[in-house]
Amino acid sequence: MSEVLETPVTTAKLALEGVTSGYGHVEIIKDLSLEVRPGEIFALMGKNGMGKTTLLKTIVGLLPARRGRILLDGADVTKRGPKALVDRGVAYAPQEQPLFQDLSIRDNLRLALPSDKALAAGLERVYGHFPFLADRLAQKAGTLSGGEQKMLIIARAMMTEPDLLLIDEISEGLQPTVIERIAAALKDERANGTTILIVEQHLAFVLGIADRWAVMKLGQIDDAGAIGPDTEARVLEHLRL
Amino acid sequence: MARRRRGLVLLVLALVAAAVMLAAPAVLDRFSLNVLTRAMIFAILAITVDLLWGFAGILTFGQAAFFGVGAYATAMILTHVGDSAPYVALGLVAAVILPMVVGAMVGWLTFYPGSSAFYATIISLVVPIVVTQVIYSGGTFTGSSSGLVGYWGMPLSLEGYFRLAGVVLVAVAFAALVFVRSDAGRLLTAIRNNETRCAYLGINTQRIKILLTVVLAGVTGLAGFLYANASGMVAPENAGFVFGTELVVWTALGGRGTIVGPVLGAVGIGYLSAELSGDLPFLWQLLIGTLFVLVIIVLPNGLAALVAPLKAWRKPPPPPTLVALPVTVPRRTGTAPLLAMEKVEKSYGSQKVLADITLTVAPGELVSLVGPNGAGKTTLMRCMTDGAAASGGTVRINGTAIAGMLPDAIVARGIGRKFQVASVFEDLTVAECLRMARACHETPSLVAAAETLALPASAIDILRLTGLDRMLASPVSLLSHGQKQSLELAMVVSLEPELILLDEPTAGLTKTERSTIGTVLKTLTAERGMAAILVEHDLDFVREISSRIVVLHQGRLVVDGTVEEAVNADIVKRIYSGGGHE
Amino acid sequence: MSLFLDVVTSSAVLFIVATGLLTIFGVLKIINFAHGAWLTVGGYCAVATTQTGLSPWLALPVAFVVGGVLGILTERFIVRPLYARPLDAILATWGLGIVIGQLITLIFGRDVQFTPSLIPGTVDVFGTAYSAYRLFALLAAVVLGLGFAFLMEGTRLGLSARAVIMNETLARILGLDTAKIRTVTFMIGTGLAGLAGVLLTPLTSVDPNMGVAWLVGSFMLVMVAGESFGTLAVACLLLGGAQVVVSTYVSPILGGITIAVLAALILRLSPKGFSRA
Repeated sequence: MSEVLETPVTTAKLALEGVTSGYGHVEIIKDLSLEVRPGEIFALMGKNGMGKTTLLKTIVGLLPARRGRILLDGADVTKRGPKALVDRGVAYAPQEQPLFQDLSIRDNLRLALPSDKALAAGLERVYGHFPFLADRLAQKAGTLSGGEQKMLIIARAMMTEPDLLLIDEISEGLQPTVIERIAAALKDERANGTTILIVEQHLAFVLGIADRWAVMKLGQIDDAGAIGPDTEARVLEHLRL
Repeated sequence: MARRRRGLVLLVLALVAAAVMLAAPAVLDRFSLNVLTRAMIFAILAITVDLLWGFAGILTFGQAAFFGVGAYATAMILTHVGDSAPYVALGLVAAVILPMVVGAMVGWLTFYPGSSAFYATIISLVVPIVVTQVIYSGGTFTGSSSGLVGYWGMPLSLEGYFRLAGVVLVAVAFAALVFVRSDAGRLLTAIRNNETRCAYLGINTQRIKILLTVVLAGVTGLAGFLYANASGMVAPENAGFVFGTELVVWTALGGRGTIVGPVLGAVGIGYLSAELSGDLPFLWQLLIGTLFVLVIIVLPNGLAALVAPLKAWRKPPPPPTLVALPVTVPRRTGTAPLLAMEKVEKSYGSQKVLADITLTVAPGELVSLVGPNGAGKTTLMRCMTDGAAASGGTVRINGTAIAGMLPDAIVARGIGRKFQVASVFEDLTVAECLRMARACHETPSLVAAAETLALPASAIDILRLTGLDRMLASPVSLLSHGQKQSLELAMVVSLEPELILLDEPTAGLTKTERSTIGTVLKTLTAERGMAAILVEHDLDFVREISSRIVVLHQGRLVVDGTVEEAVNADIVKRIYSGGGHE
Repeated sequence: MSLFLDVVTSSAVLFIVATGLLTIFGVLKIINFAHGAWLTVGGYCAVATTQTGLSPWLALPVAFVVGGVLGILTERFIVRPLYARPLDAILATWGLGIVIGQLITLIFGRDVQFTPSLIPGTVDVFGTAYSAYRLFALLAAVVLGLGFAFLMEGTRLGLSARAVIMNETLARILGLDTAKIRTVTFMIGTGLAGLAGVLLTPLTSVDPNMGVAWLVGSFMLVMVAGESFGTLAVACLLLGGAQVVVSTYVSPILGGITIAVLAALILRLSPKGFSRA
């Protein structure tokens, strides 16, 4: 274990304290503690089936934590449900069924906002990162290419100008050029003060943008650290077959 | 012994109940006799609704239609043909056979592969409407909207009809209770809990549901015969869907899944309605309606659930004794591989999930299927066990192409499949689950729960290793996740398959449980000649037990080789460090 | 000509009656078996409005409001605990239908009531004298259909409801208040059912069981239609049309089962009904 668990000087943006959750009789996340600092990009890695997605679902309240606490800016948000978190400035880009396939790009983006008042401003913001969206607002999300869909997912998560952005495996199956555009967008958001927690398997992507990392195994944090010259070797040791 | 004693207690209770029925007319007034006779006939219908809905999970409003067919068949014969004894007998036969014929047609229409429980409910609404309209259109033949009245039936007094209805009700309730406690009766609960699992145990659930519909249509018709005789009149309402809903209301209030509850519900509400409806007709209906809504929401198991705690003092029946079946050498015929997939593909619309999969598996192999999420592993497994799953290529089991075959038929050819989420029967005990797994080898008894449970030695080994052998009488709902996974594995092994498919058998298990399952799998394949295909994320586990590794990536088979070859393949390294896309 | 008008207007009436049921089923996947009771409530709103000497047209907004308010209460206390048990929801709402029917009987008595036609007389259509009210019903169905299409496609509420239908988890992730959307949807569905009850009154007499007769037919049409109003219109035209034709040329009694039997067969062949196409 390492520096990631030490208490930082400032209040953590997001803190998990001994969180346990799962489905039915199965506990996927077991007594997990983690802190994400304000303004950083934190990368959570680990092999399939180790509980990364379950952890994100627990954080946003889709899945109730069975034990432990989840703190956002020091305030307890455990079991408050997704709406409460969205209202507090959290946005989540899920991996499974992340888009309304049969709705237009515009409607997908629109649904991220509580009302249409801020729509124009939100759209302007995301056009800055992904200009192609502007010309294709009426197109159905399901007809976009894989890479375009991923960019739409990120764009939608950015619509509300969130303070904390949770992103699940956005790089999966993407071409390097698309990954670069997404990485640039995320770096811009960080520069604006947004805290970002990414779940990733793509090591190169992580090394390029993250500040700190952790590897999950069987529902717990197995190893963690700040991104540095030794990160690649250490993480690969955990990820090999 | 204890089982036989329970059966005996039930028989004595039934005889006492029958004696009460015979004696009761001495102390009841005419009004009560009339009302109770009718209510008891309706209670027979409530039993059939309970068997279908409470046990098999088929919500039906259609029993009224079968009742109407039986009652009208009787009344029409007595009115138009003759009313001497032979014609009464003819009426009885017609009242039972005709509903069964209609039931067979309805069952065939309703229960087809892939049919939903909801479709059965829809059909159960259509049938009473059709029967009612046929009655309306029958002119003088059916009496149209005014029904048939003024015919003569069995020469019985009011008391006589009461006794007859009472004894028949007791007999039907007794038969139903014996049946639901038997091994075959537990099959209904198994179907309600988990029809997919039943199919993957080689059980043809559609056939069972059709059979149940037909038999219960006959019982319902018998009640119709009694009603037509006892009341001396039949009307279209007797076949209508509103009457069908009343049957469901009684069953729900009394307590679905208890047989006795629905009987008491039907008799109690029937009697109270007659008593009270004179004074407060609408208030009474209002009360019933309110009670019904409340019961459905807060007491889904009916008023019987209120007395259920009383049953706690009664000792549960002892579990059967485990008996090991003699070890059979897999009956291999011919030289075809156990599993041969050739150029198999699967697409959903324009999205290709699997492409160009060619794979053979021979006896004794333990093949691990690995790959990132969404690589198509579970889909590939489905293509091996469901003849409708693949959209291209051929899958052969022991040389036979399985295209178009249903899972239960494929399972019968020697494949067992364990699902990712433990797929067992929540409302059965451990022993009952295992017996379901043997149902296609050994037909379960319709009247008794067997005292022994014969399983293959390897299944018993699994039970011993996991301690489940000491929990045979435990309800499955009380098992831990790991125990359920082990139970499902034991069930699948009990099928004596030649090839066993396991989808993430170790997900969420403790370390000890993992190594137990690993040991069992190694024994099954290395010593008993079974083949196994394993989807698994825990790669340490995979390395430890596999004889071969197949890597799936983006719907294609990218590596097929030994453990060493797979671990060292470049593509695998790339996939697992996040790259690996073209 | 008259047959054509019968087909079109009968389908229109079926469409009006089924919209409330479809609204609820489409979004919530719940069959409101008290739908018939809401039709009855609408019918009695018409009776009550006429009895108090108000314009019969006023019954339309009154019924929508009464139906809607009852719907909010029903969703909150009866349907909400049962979203995970859809078959039980059918039963509970059926029980509610019994309760509403008996309450109406207690208040208004069980006698048949009549209301004056909203639009009496006939209109000449290409040389055929035809009931003015039936033509109005056709207009009402079109207005309802278009109004609903606008609600679903053109408003934020409709967008939210569609989002919940398509992917409820994602809707929750984006912070939509799915509980509120459900309640509002249920309210609109029951409000429409009340409205339909008023629109039915000139065509049928009003009694405490008037709705039950329409329940099964609309249920079948909704099952065939799936979740869209467009397919509901198609289902009403085809099945309702078949009903009129069978009733006219074969027998009215067989006509009475045409919709149910055709729906059963269509669903057997294509379990998702028309919505799959």
